[in-house]
Amino acid sequence: MRSHLSSRVLRRAVIFLVASLSIGGCGTVRNPSLERARDAYQKARQDPLIVRNAGAALDRAQLTLETAEQLWAKEHDVNEVEHLAYIAEKRVEIARVTAERRQAAEELKQGGGRP
Amino acid sequence: MYSTGHLIQRTRAAWYASFAFVALIFFAGCSTARPPTAILRNAELEVRAADEAKADELAPADLKNARDKLARAKQAMAAERYDDARRLAESAQVDAELAGAKADARVMRQAADRILKKGDAPPSDAESESRKPLSPSPKME
Repeated sequence: MRSHLSSRVLRRAVIFLVASLSIGGCGTVRNPSLERARDAYQKARQDPLIVRNAGAALDRAQLTLETAEQLWAKEHDVNEVEHLAYIAEKRVEIARVTAERRQAAEELKQGGGRP
Repeated sequence: MYSTGHLIQRTRAAWYASFAFVALIFFAGCSTARPPTAILRNAELEVRAADEAKADELAPADLKNARDKLARAKQAMAAERYDDARRLAESAQVDAELAGAKADARVMRQAADRILKKGDAPPSDAESESRKPLSPSPKME
C-alpha cells in the first residue's frame, strides 16, 4: 500500500517536471528572421569584394549569427533570437558598406596618383 | 501509524523538491535582467559618432532608426524593463554604426568619382576657353 502510493506521487512529480520543461522548447520550429540573416550572411561570404575588403566586419556578423543559431537550437528564445538575427543582418550590411568604402578609397588613391 | 507519518513526510518532500526545481529554472531564466547602463552609453556614443559623420544628410533613415530606438531604450530603462532596454540599445547601436558606415562610404565614393571624372572627362567649356591662346588666330587675317 505504502509503496503503491509513493510510486503514484513519484509518477505525478515526474509528469509535472517533464510538462513544465517541455513548455519552454516545442520541437523543431523554423525561425524566418534567423533564416533571412543566414541567407544575407552567406551571400556576403560569397562576395570576394566583401571578403577582401571587410573580412573583420563579416566575421563579427558571423559571430552574432552563430550565437543566434545556438540560442535557437538550445532554448528557442524567440525574442532574443529575433533580436540577434536583426543585429547579424545589420552587421552584414555594415560589412558590405565598409567594403564599398574601401573600394572607393582604393580608386581615389589610384586616381589621385595619376598625372 | 509510523508508516502513514512517514508517507506524508515523503510526499511533502517530493512536492518541495519539484517546486524548488521549477523555481530554480524560472529564476535562472530571469536573472540576466540588470540595468544595461554601459550598453545604453555605447549606443549613445555611436549615435553621436554617426551624427558627426553627417549621417543625418547621407543616411537619414538609419540614423532616425537609431535615434528612435535609443529614445525607446531610455523609456524602457526608466520603466525597469531591462531586457527591452538592452535589446533596444543594442539595435540602436548597430543602426547608428550602419548609418556612420554609409555616410563614410558615400563621402569616399563622391570624392573618388570627382577625381576619376577629372582624370577621364574631356575638359569643360570653361577649361577649354582658358586654355585658348591669347593671341588672335591666323585665320582672322
